[in-house]
This record gives sequence, structure tokens and C-alpha cells, in this order.
Amino acid sequence: MHDPPTETAPAAPAREPAAGLAEAAGADLAPGRPGLAARVRRVEGAPVVAVRLWLDAGTRVETYPGQGLLTGRMLEEGTWRRDWRRIAADAEGRGMDLSSFGAFEGHGVNVDALAPDWELAVEWAAELLREPSFPEERCAWLARQAAAELEGMADQPDIKAAWGFLEHLYTPHPRCRPVHGNAASLSRITAADCADLHGRALAGGVIAAVAGMIDEEAVGRCLERLFSDLPPRRRPFPPPAAPEGLPSRRHQVAVESADQAHLYIGHLTVRRRHPDYTALELLAVILGSGAGLTGRIPERIREREGLAYTAYAQTLAGAGEDPGRLVAYVATSPDTAAQAERGVAEEIARLVEHGITDEELEETRSYLLGREPFRRETARQWADLLIEAEQYGLPLDDPFRRTADLRALDRRTCEAVARHHLRPEDLRVTIGLPG
Amino acid sequence: MRPATSGAVATAAAAAAALPGGSSLPGHRRLARLANGLTVCVLQNHQAPVVTTALCYRAGTRDDPPGHGGTAHFLEHMMFKGSRRFGPGEIDRRTQALGGANNAFTSHDATTYYFSFAADRWTEALAIEADRMAELTLDRRQVASERQVIREEIAMYESEPWDALEVAVQARLFRGHPYGRPVLGTRGELRATGRDELATFQHRLYRPDNAVLVVAGEVDEETALADVERFLGALPAGAERGDGATPPAAWPEGMARLRRHKGEVPRLLLALPAPPGDHPDHAVMRLLVALLGSGRGSRIYRTLVDEGQLCSWIHTDLTESVDAGHLAIAAEVVPGVAPARVERELLALLAELVRTPPAAEEVERARQVALADWVLHHERVEQQALSLAVALALFDAEHLDRQLRRLLDAGPASLRAAADRYLRPEAGSVLGWSLPRS
Repeated sequence: MHDPPTETAPAAPAREPAAGLAEAAGADLAPGRPGLAARVRRVEGAPVVAVRLWLDAGTRVETYPGQGLLTGRMLEEGTWRRDWRRIAADAEGRGMDLSSFGAFEGHGVNVDALAPDWELAVEWAAELLREPSFPEERCAWLARQAAAELEGMADQPDIKAAWGFLEHLYTPHPRCRPVHGNAASLSRITAADCADLHGRALAGGVIAAVAGMIDEEAVGRCLERLFSDLPPRRRPFPPPAAPEGLPSRRHQVAVESADQAHLYIGHLTVRRRHPDYTALELLAVILGSGAGLTGRIPERIREREGLAYTAYAQTLAGAGEDPGRLVAYVATSPDTAAQAERGVAEEIARLVEHGITDEELEETRSYLLGREPFRRETARQWADLLIEAEQYGLPLDDPFRRTADLRALDRRTCEAVARHHLRPEDLRVTIGLPG
Repeated sequence: MRPATSGAVATAAAAAAALPGGSSLPGHRRLARLANGLTVCVLQNHQAPVVTTALCYRAGTRDDPPGHGGTAHFLEHMMFKGSRRFGPGEIDRRTQALGGANNAFTSHDATTYYFSFAADRWTEALAIEADRMAELTLDRRQVASERQVIREEIAMYESEPWDALEVAVQARLFRGHPYGRPVLGTRGELRATGRDELATFQHRLYRPDNAVLVVAGEVDEETALADVERFLGALPAGAERGDGATPPAAWPEGMARLRRHKGEVPRLLLALPAPPGDHPDHAVMRLLVALLGSGRGSRIYRTLVDEGQLCSWIHTDLTESVDAGHLAIAAEVVPGVAPARVERELLALLAELVRTPPAAEEVERARQVALADWVLHHERVEQQALSLAVALALFDAEHLDRQLRRLLDAGPASLRAAADRYLRPEAGSVLGWSLPRS
């Protein structure tokens, strides 16, 4: 549907609310807010169930680099009832994919199972989350394993250059380092450190999502039985240091690559809850995160100039509790890196200075609306969406709200958002070069 | 907490729940053949308001002309670079405007193109496929530009340590057979391949009677078949069949060794010959792969990662191909651990499985893991369409159901027999190492 042009002044891009007193550690999130926030949804389709239990404590609030990752991984290393061998054997004996994880914003437990096993899946996930035993000898191994993974990833030139870009943009914020932390820090983390982070995270409350071929009421009763004794939620962690970035505009990283340069170009943008998020999503598609090789940057870099196999752009990469980033990535020959860099910068500047066409707006809106059914196709997708909706307090699981948000965008609003949030004069360039 | 039930009971219940009616994919299937030879399969299910079309040509790297390796893959790129109705980039723009997604991939046996759209607009995919099958432009400037893009793709694979090792190991294992050729070709072959070679390849093999089209998702069977007929029914047949005589691979005598130096972490890749995808042993091998490397309870993971603490991760994979394929075992070694120790432990594990049949309980664990993996892997309509298209193009309409039945039926004795036949590195295999430069 085509939005009619409007004569009113374009809406000023909204400002994010300033951090207030409620961000202080230990403050009530909301008086009396229960310790469990649960979302349950029946999803027709494959006879499976997806269970997600999430705690708001990951790399973002860790004391030692790598602590969030290890804390999450330790959950499946043993509970007061079962050791890791028994947990794995029980789950795999039922064909369950049971895993615990540590991520940037949180840690928790995921279980994907065949639908008839839904109750076991929920019970076992709860056991891992609420009764972990944090065996010391497993912590030492997981730390070595994580350090080895880190070294393995560093052999991949695109990943190593991406780490350099995060450092370039986010220092001293924890996003400036890999979730794995570093080898020295990992070697010093103890099981007690993991237990401490997990214990404090539990005080912040549990988010649960269960989706699949289930009886919603029965699942709700099961969750109530397993989590009703949680105390009201509190905010157990202070906010991390604000991102400042490295002082220089350009940052070079040595990578092991025969004849490719890895270019990352961009700057910080906004948080997940920002009111301009949807407009920035749309601008990302116009720049280069849509179908196939569409978007101004891939069309120019790959289709017209033949400089790269991989070229894309995003405007909200990593946006969550902290700001995301505008990022354009190109892997190209070192001989053509300057040409590619110029091309990316010019396309971002052109978007800001000359705006978008009505046709681009309509095509992009149509694309984002058309993708909606594909974001809600499976139980796993639904469970992840429900967690995200609860985590950010946004109606992400409501397709009608999403459709309304996209339909409400007009060209002038999008252009105003581009002028406000995309800053060609502030672009930072990280380049991974063979060295 | 309630205890888990026994393995056999769990398997029966899980299989019944996961595979209603014994079918490997959800929904109702209808197979048809147009007058021009195009095989069409409609998989109708209503799990989401989406439709995927997957068009699979029996034309892959194995069909590359001598001296022009990479032609099948090059042509895959060019299929997005302009046809009579859809100019360069227009297919992607049209896909985006309709809220869809598209992609393609080339293997040694086939090339597959797919679109996913909301259910009310999916027929645009048929219009695109018909146009580029019949009237691909292959503009010389576009060919030159895309050649440069593929050069960058080759550079990307060469920079990635695992990709580079895999290409080298596969070349050695399949010496003398097309499966040993790199899908992307070499830089020299790429230079030698131009519009004429691409056009000849396309004319010869991109015909309805050399292709399979799957339409999966929320469609009405009759209407979908009528739509396919309307868009693709008038295209002429005339594919040139190959003579079918592919030379057999000259398997290495004994365990061939290959060593490269890249990065800071030791990486091991062991490749063993495996049966073709339609061989009765293939499904048994799937179970063996799960037993060896899927999940924390699997033998290799437990021995090399969780208990031995020698590797940060391991991965096992089995190719499903027209001719003999391969079983690959990959392991990334923890720095400081001697690579020779990992190699020794891995070879001992394989020998043990050949010597001693696995216990019934272990087989059931592997079966549960493989079954759940199957169900979860085919949750999305797009995945269902792709599996079905490739199976129909390379094998037959019963292939997926038959594979799954065999997976459910295989017992310890057949596993032991398969292990005895295929898990003997000393009888012909390639052991590749990517070692730190230091």
C-alpha cells in the first residue's frame, strides 16, 4: 500500500530516554513484579517443542572477560541431581537437543524436543537453571576449551577483523571484546565466579518461553509449579561503561589471508527500544541487508564494480540494551580496498544527502512485511521471539503491531531518521589486511 | 523429576509422533510429469502461509567441460544476471519487492535454485524460472564482472582454514573422479571460461527434462500444478543426457597423508569413502555418523572433547551423492595438545567400533539423535522443499521415506557390518592436517 505524501513537517527522530535512578544495582524493577515472566504459545506444524529459559546476565555485566560465556555453559555441566554425563545421556536418549549458553546480554538454557516430551523438556531446563552444581573441574576444562575456540576463530580473517571493528567502536564498553573474553582471563575464572554471576542473575528474574505443539494451559501450570517460589525481580547489576571507541578514525588489524582485505565501516546507532528502530531497519534494507544482492552497497560493490563476493550493510547490528551499529562489510582484494571503501562511504552519504525514492520505500516496506510469516514459521523461532519480546518489553510477537509500525513510515520520516542517525562524517574504518 | 523411559519405548513413541503416517515430510505429496519432461512435485501443508519453489537441475560440477572447471557454478551466478524479462539484478529486486527470499547452490551432482514467498504471490517464482531457463542473456560484460566476483569467492575459501583443508582432502580422496574437482574451479579455468562455454552448458543441461521442480507449502495441489503447466509447460525439452560413465575414483592405497600450514590451531580432517546416497548402507552410515559424532554422548565427542579434553570441538558428516560419497571427521585441536595423540585416539576409536558391535542402548541413543535431527531440520517449508527437490533429482520419489525407514530399522548387527566395510582408514582414506605455521 502506498502512503500518501504528507505536507506536515517530518517527525523529529525520537530521543532515547536517559538512564535514570532505576538503573542502579539493587533497585526494584517494578514493585512486586514476579520473579518469572513466562510466555507460552501453541504453534501448529512439526510435532516439536522449544523451551527457552533466559537470565539477563552475560558478557555485558560480567566482572571478568569470558565469565558470562562460561557461566552459561556451566549450567549443563552438572546439577545437584545429575552429573554432565547423565544429563547428556538422558536428553539424547529422548532425542532432545539440550544446551546451555552464555551470550552478550544473557545466559540460560535451550531445549528442543519432540512434542510429547514437553514436560520433561521444561522440567530439565528448570533443573539446569535452578540447581546447577558448578563442578570446579569442568570449569577448568570449559575455560581451556573456550580459549582454544578463541584461537581457532582468530585464524579466520573476517572474524578477526570484525573483533577489531568492535574494539574500534565500543572501547571500553564490554561489546569491545569477544564474548569468549581472552585466554588470560579465562584461565583465572573459577566455578565460584560462575556461581556468583548466576546467583545474582537469578535475583534479576527468569524469562521463560515455550512454543510448539503444546497445551498452553498445561505448560503454564508446569511453569508455575517450577518457578512460583522465585522472589520478586531486582536489578542486580550496575550498567556497563559507556562505549567511546578508539580515538583514531582508522584501525588496522593483521589477519591471515592470502589476498583479501576485510573492510568494516560504520559507527554506533541506537538501542533496541529506540522509537526509530523500525525506520532504521528499513534503511538497512535499502543500504544492503535485503533479498539476494539488493541494496545500494551490494549493487554497487558487487554487481556494478565486481569488487567482492561478500558485501552487505546493516544499521542495527547488535542493538539491544546498548547501542547497535551501522556496519558495511566488504571482502575484496587489497588492491581494490580503497575503491570499495570509497564506494561504501559515498553510498551512505548519498542516502543521507539525497534521501530515498518512493519506489524504494514501497519495495522495502513490502519486503519487510513479506518476511513476517518467515519469522514465525517454527516453534524455535516463536520461542526466541517471545524471549526477545519479554526481554525488551516490546510487542515483537504481535504481527499486527509490526505491520502497523511498518505501514506508518513515510519517506520524509525515514529521511529524517537517516539524517539524524547515519553520519557519513563520523564513519570509522577497520581494515583487516594480510600481515 | 520423572525418570526417562527406556530407549526402545522412547523410539517408538518419538517415531510415531515425528513421522505421522510414516512419511518423512509433513503434508501430502503429489508427483506429476509435464509433456516436456519436467518432473513436478507439490508438497501441500498448511503449517505457515508460505510457499517455497525449488528447481533442481541435474547439472553440477561433474558436468563441467574439460579445462573449464567451475562452469556449473559460474552459470549459477549468471542465472541472476539477466534474462529477457528480468535484467541484471532484477530477479533480486523483484524478490525483495514481493517480500521474498531467493538463493541457489551448486554441488558436484546438481544445481538448485529456490524462492520463498508468502502464499499469495509465489507464482512469480515460476515466471522467473521459465524466463531464465529459456532466455538467459549471458551478456559479455556481465560475464566479465561476475568472473571477478568468483575470483573473490575463491580467495575467501582459500583464506578460511577449514575450507582450504576440505578442498585439498577431497581432491586427494577423489583423484580421477569429478568429485575431486573444486566446485568453484581454479583461477586459470575461470579465466578460460566465457560466454560461449556458459551458453553451451546451459543449452545442453538446463532443460525441463533434466530438472525437478518442487512447490511446497500452503498451496492447493490442482491450482499449483495448473500454474506450473501455464508457466513452464511450453518450454521445449531436449536435454543432452550424459553417457553416465563416470570413472571410478582411484581411492588411495592405505591412508594417504596430507599436510598444510595455516593459522595457529591444528585442524584434522579424515575422509573415508562411503556408499552412494541410494545404497542400502547409506542410512546405516547415517546412524554410524550419529553414533560417532552427534551429541555429547557420541564416541568421538566424548573421547576427544568432553573426557579426553584434546579437542575444542569435533564434527562428523556424510555426503549424499550419486556416486560413492565420503564420511568426513573434523577435529579442532586444543593448542598445546600433540596432534599425533589426537590422530592416534581417533583411529583407535574407529578400530574399536569395527572390532566390537555397539550395545543396543548406544544404537538407540544414536537413532533418537538422528531422528530428532531429521524432524528439526525439516521444520521449515524451505528445508522441506530443498530436501525433496534434491532427492527427486538425484534419486527417486521414495528416497527420503526409504532412508528414514532404514534409519529406524537398522540394528547393531547391520551397524557392525557397515563399520567393518567403511570405517577402515587403512583400506583407503585421506588424513589431512592443517598445522600452525609456527
